[in-house]
Amino acid sequence: MKVKSILVIVACAGLLASCATTAPIELVNAREAYRQASTGPAVQVAPAQLHEAQQALAIAEQSFQKNPKSYQTQDLAYVAHRKAQLAQASASIAQKQASQAQARRDYQDAQSKIIAETKTDLDQTRTALAASERSGEVSAERLSSAQDARIAADRQTAQAQEALAASTAQQLASEQEARKAAEKRAADAQAALAKLATVREEARGMVITLSGSVLFATNQSTLLPDAQLRLNKVADALLVNNQRNLIIEGHADSSGDAGYNLDLSLRRANTVRSYLVGRGYQASRIRAYGFGERNPVADNASAEGRANNRRVEIVVEHETIATNK
Amino acid sequence: MKHRSKVGITIFIMAIVAAAIAAGCASTPLRTEASTSGIRAAEELGAADVPQASLHLNLARESLEKARVLAAQDKKEQAASMLLRAEADAELAIALSHEDSERSEALAAVARVRKLQQDSR
Repeated sequence: MKVKSILVIVACAGLLASCATTAPIELVNAREAYRQASTGPAVQVAPAQLHEAQQALAIAEQSFQKNPKSYQTQDLAYVAHRKAQLAQASASIAQKQASQAQARRDYQDAQSKIIAETKTDLDQTRTALAASERSGEVSAERLSSAQDARIAADRQTAQAQEALAASTAQQLASEQEARKAAEKRAADAQAALAKLATVREEARGMVITLSGSVLFATNQSTLLPDAQLRLNKVADALLVNNQRNLIIEGHADSSGDAGYNLDLSLRRANTVRSYLVGRGYQASRIRAYGFGERNPVADNASAEGRANNRRVEIVVEHETIATNK
Repeated sequence: MKHRSKVGITIFIMAIVAAAIAAGCASTPLRTEASTSGIRAAEELGAADVPQASLHLNLARESLEKARVLAAQDKKEQAASMLLRAEADAELAIALSHEDSERSEALAAVARVRKLQQDSR
């Protein structure tokens, strides 16, 4: 009886020991892999593959229950492990495909946005261009007005220039006429002088020679009455251009004392000067000198010669600058 | 006497049947089509170029070779069980190759979007 009890106890212990057999490493790995897969994204995105992994693990567990250490259990557990890993890989693939799909949608959205923005920019550019064209038309009108104004101004300027030119021409013509008139008067005056006296051109100027016997009595420096009339005409002729300087030179013949002749010629020159000043010629423009018998123009041996030497010369200088000695 | 003959005949018939079964089992070729095609598919997908896929591809090849060895040793069931390992590893190698390519395409797609957004600014 005791022996039977001991055998029963030993048998139960053996049973217990067989129930607590360590699972093979393949089964341990399979269980862990399935745990990870069943708590990951495979539940949502790879349910079929996860179900296969669950079935494979169940078969492995059954085999383990029947034959814990058999090669079938190890192989089935190995396969269950791979099935769980396959479920995880399938989940990862599904996630990558979803990411690709989202990226494609984002790309299309970005393209659409760019197209819309480009279209908006294009519309704005067209609007701005239309506005610019209208502005250009206004500018063209303003330009046209400015051009018209400029043309009118140019026309006015041209008219003014024409008027000025006409005025200038008229003035010039007037001046020419005046000059001609003056020249005519001068010519007339000179012609008149030529009738009154001997007129000749020399380097020192125009020399008007008045006979002494016409102007003065013998040994006198007072003008004869007829001489005044003659000097009036001379004065009138000279006054045509009273801006010229005059030199009055008194000359005598060689009769008598040289000193007396010198003094007489100077007094006569001054007399003529005073008369011309009295007729209106500027005093500052007339100088008077006496040369006596020093500058004869004829032979003093003859009476005619001596008469010619007895003279008053009015030198009309070419320069208009008044010189006062 | 009759009873002993019937038992003997029965035993003989059972022995013949068992021998026939054993002989049939011994002549059944190892069915490697599933594992070999899986391995080939993984190779064509470029599993050798993906580290994790390459690992399981090699494991599949090793399991297939072990199965052939076991089959040659007349351990058919064990060989058939080993082929299950080869098929599982080949299938996982294929999946990991797909995952690698999908990862690359996903990264490229995201990069295209970023480039487009940057260029448009």
